Amino acid sequence: MSKLELIQCLSGHKGRVWGAGWHPKGNILASCGEDKTIRIWVEENKRWTAKTILSDGHTRTIRDVSWSPCGQYLASASFDATVAIWDKKSGEFECNATLEGHENEIKSVAWSKSGSLLATCSRDKSVWIWEIAQEDEFECAAVLNSHTQDVKKVEWHPNEDILASASYDNTIKLYREELSESDWSSFATLTSHTSTVWSISFDSTGKRLASCSDDLTVKIWQEYKPGNELGVATPDNQAVWKCVCTLSGYHERTVYDISWCKLTGLIATACGDDMIRIFKEADNSNADEPTFELIWSQLAHTQDTNTVEWNPVVPGVLVSTSDDGDIKIWKLLE
Amino acid sequence: MSKFSGALQLTDLDDFITPSQECIKPVKIDTNKTKTGSKITIQEDGSYIQATDSGFQKLEKVEITLADCLACSGCITSAEGVLITQQSQEELLKVLNENNNAKLSENKENVKLIVFTISQQTILSLANRYTLDVDETTEYLAGYFKKLGADLIIDTKIADDLALIENCNEFIKRFQNDKKKLPMLSSSCPGWVCYSEKTHGNFILPYISTTRSPQQIMGVLVKQYLAKKFELKSNQIYHVTIMPCYDKKLEASREDFYSEVEQSHDVDCVITSIEIEQMLDNEKIQSLSEVEKSTFDWPWDTEKPKTFIWAHEYSGSGGYSDYIFKYAANQLFNIEVNELNYKILRNTDFKEILLESSNGEILLRFAIANGFRNIQNLVQKLKRGKSNYHFVEIMACPSGCLNGGAQIRPQNGQTQKELTKDLEKFYSQLPKSTIENETVSEIYEKFLEPQQKVKELLHTTYHQIEKMNTALNIKW
Repeated sequence: MSKLELIQCLSGHKGRVWGAGWHPKGNILASCGEDKTIRIWVEENKRWTAKTILSDGHTRTIRDVSWSPCGQYLASASFDATVAIWDKKSGEFECNATLEGHENEIKSVAWSKSGSLLATCSRDKSVWIWEIAQEDEFECAAVLNSHTQDVKKVEWHPNEDILASASYDNTIKLYREELSESDWSSFATLTSHTSTVWSISFDSTGKRLASCSDDLTVKIWQEYKPGNELGVATPDNQAVWKCVCTLSGYHERTVYDISWCKLTGLIATACGDDMIRIFKEADNSNADEPTFELIWSQLAHTQDTNTVEWNPVVPGVLVSTSDDGDIKIWKLLE
Repeated sequence: MSKFSGALQLTDLDDFITPSQECIKPVKIDTNKTKTGSKITIQEDGSYIQATDSGFQKLEKVEITLADCLACSGCITSAEGVLITQQSQEELLKVLNENNNAKLSENKENVKLIVFTISQQTILSLANRYTLDVDETTEYLAGYFKKLGADLIIDTKIADDLALIENCNEFIKRFQNDKKKLPMLSSSCPGWVCYSEKTHGNFILPYISTTRSPQQIMGVLVKQYLAKKFELKSNQIYHVTIMPCYDKKLEASREDFYSEVEQSHDVDCVITSIEIEQMLDNEKIQSLSEVEKSTFDWPWDTEKPKTFIWAHEYSGSGGYSDYIFKYAANQLFNIEVNELNYKILRNTDFKEILLESSNGEILLRFAIANGFRNIQNLVQKLKRGKSNYHFVEIMACPSGCLNGGAQIRPQNGQTQKELTKDLEKFYSQLPKSTIENETVSEIYEKFLEPQQKVKELLHTTYHQIEKMNTALNIKW
C-alpha cells in the first residue's frame, strides 16, 4: 500500500505560493508567489533551506518559474506581463534579461528540452515562443493566437520541440515549427474537456498527455500516427490525438495542476479541495483504453493546492504549493 | 474568428473573467440644464435620469462610437462586433439606398456625392478570386459600385505617390538634421500604429513617420480638394475606401482624421475585400464578371492614364523601404541604385538592404519587418539601443498588405502562402508607378501651397494611450 509522507514544510513566502520548479539536478527548488519574490531552496543534509530570495525582478505576482535544462538559467513569469531570466554567472543570481511583449498577466513559462526555446502564455490569449540567440539574447520566434481565451499553461514535449498549451477555452493545442517557413503553427486541437483546462503534462515518451480541468476530470490523450495499428484515421497524414481515458469522480473541486512522473509513470494532481491525489496505471491497462487507479489521496494543505511536480531525479519525491503560503515536499513510499 | 491583425488582437482583449473596466466615456450634460446638486440615477433600461427641481428629466442616451474606444484600452475596444458594425457592408448599403432615394425625390439638400477609393491589393484579391484579368476587374468593380449608387470610383495612386514623397522628404530631413529620430519607422499600417500607441507609447512614437497613410491622404484629397473643386461642403461627400485590412476601419475613425468644423470624417466607411465577396454572394452573383462594366473616374486636372492599378517597386505594401532607399541614396550620396538586393534575415518577413560606399563603408541600412514577431524583435532591439537601422518598413501582417487580414481567403485547398505568392506575382506584373509626375505636381501647386499646408494636410500625430492598472484579486 502506497503512502505519501511529508518530508518537510517550507515556509517563508508571504501569501499564496503559485508555483515551484525543480532544478534539473533535483536538489534545488525555486518557488514563486503572491509576494512577488522567488525563493531558491537547496537541500543540504536532507534539510531544505531558502538560500536566496530574489525580490527585485517583478512588480506583481509571480505566477510560474522554470529552470533551463542545463540548470544555468531560471525563468520567472509574472502578472506584470514580463518574463525575467535569471542567471548566476556573477556568483549571485541576477536578472540578465526581461522579455516584454505580452499584453497581460503571464500564466506559465517553460523551457524546451533542447534549451534553445522558451514558451510563455498569457491572459491575452497568446502563446509566445522565444529563441535563445547568441550572447544570451532572446528573440521572439512566434506569437501564436490560436486560443480564443486566457491561456493557462504551456508545456514542452519531453523529447522534441513540440509545444502544448492549455486554455480557458476548454482546449489543448499542439504546436510545431514548419521548418521550410521558420513558422510555428498549431497542428492539433484537443477537445473533450467541458471547462477550463488548467494544466497538462506529457508522459516520458511524449506520446501521451494528461490534462486536468475545472470540469473536475483528468483526461489522458494518446497520439496516433499515420499507419497506426488501430487504424485511427489520420487526415492529411497528420498524427491525431484522442482522449483515451477520463478520470472522473475523484476530484471534488477544480483540478489545478497535474504532473506525470517521467521516472515512475505516476500521475499526481493538485486540487482546489486542498488535496493531492496519486494515480497509477493499472498493470493490465490497455494502451488504447488505459485504466488508472487512485493509489493515494492526501489532505495536503489548508487551502487550495496550486501545483504539484515530481522530482526529475529522485523517484517518488513530489513538491506541492498552496494558497496557504506553504511549500511541501513529499516522498511516496510503496 | 478574430479578424484584426495579430498586433491588434493582442491589444484588444476580450476576457470574461475581468470585471468590466469603467467606461471612460463621461456622461455629458448640456450646461443649460445643469443645476447644483442634481443627481443622476440609472433606470432599468439603462437610460440616465437627471433629478431636477422641476422633476425627473430623461437625458439622452450616451452613444459609444468607435472613436471613443480607440482612446481606451478597456472592455469596449475589444468588442469587435461593435467595431465592425460601425463600418460594414450593411451600413454602406443603407447609406447608398438613402442617397438613391434622395436623388429620386430630387431632395437636393440630402443628396451626397458618393466617392469610392479602391486599393490595388483589393483589386488583385478579387481578380484572383474570380480568375479575371486585373484591368477587367477594375471595370467590373467600377460597374458594380456605380450600379449601387456610387458617383465616382477612383484609385489610390495619387495618394500612394504623395505618401512616398512625404516619407522621402521626412527621411532626408531626419537623416540630415535629426538623427536621434532614426530609425524612421513607416506609418501607413494602422495595426502597427495602434499597437505602438497602446504598448510602447512615448518611447516608440517619435520614431514613426508623421506622414499620413495613403488612405487618409486620399481622405483629405476627397473631402477637401475635390469638395472645393465640385463646390461642395465636406459633409456633402460620403467617402468609402475599399481595403485589404480590417485595421483600416480603426484608422478611418481616429479623431485626427475628423473635422469638427466641417462635421466630416476624411473617410466615412471602410469596406474590405472579403466584404465585397460577401456582398456579391448575398446578391447571388457567382462571379464579378456577371456585373456590367464601367470605368474608373479621373477627377484630377491632368490627362487620364491608361490604367488605374499600379505597383510601387517590389513591396506589395506601398514600397516604402524600396523608394526611400533609392531616393536617399541619390539625394544624400549621389548614388544611383537600380537594383534592390535584400538579404533575408531570420525569416522571409524580415529582410535588410545596405548601401555601401566604394570602400565598403555602410552608408544606409534599411529593413522590412512584417508580422508581429518581427515587430517585437525590432522594438526590443530599439529599446536596448542595439538597432543600427536608418529606416524600417513595418507592416503588422506577415507578407505585408497583400496578405492583409481582410483579403479574400484561399479557395479550393490552396494555402495562404500559395495565395500570397500568386498575389505577389500579379503585383510584380503591374506597371510601376513614378511618384514624380504631373498629377502630383499639380496637387502640390494648387492645393498644398504654402508649405504649412503640407504639414497640416499630409501629416498627423500619434497619442500614447495609458493602460489602466487594475489590481485583480480573482484567483487565476
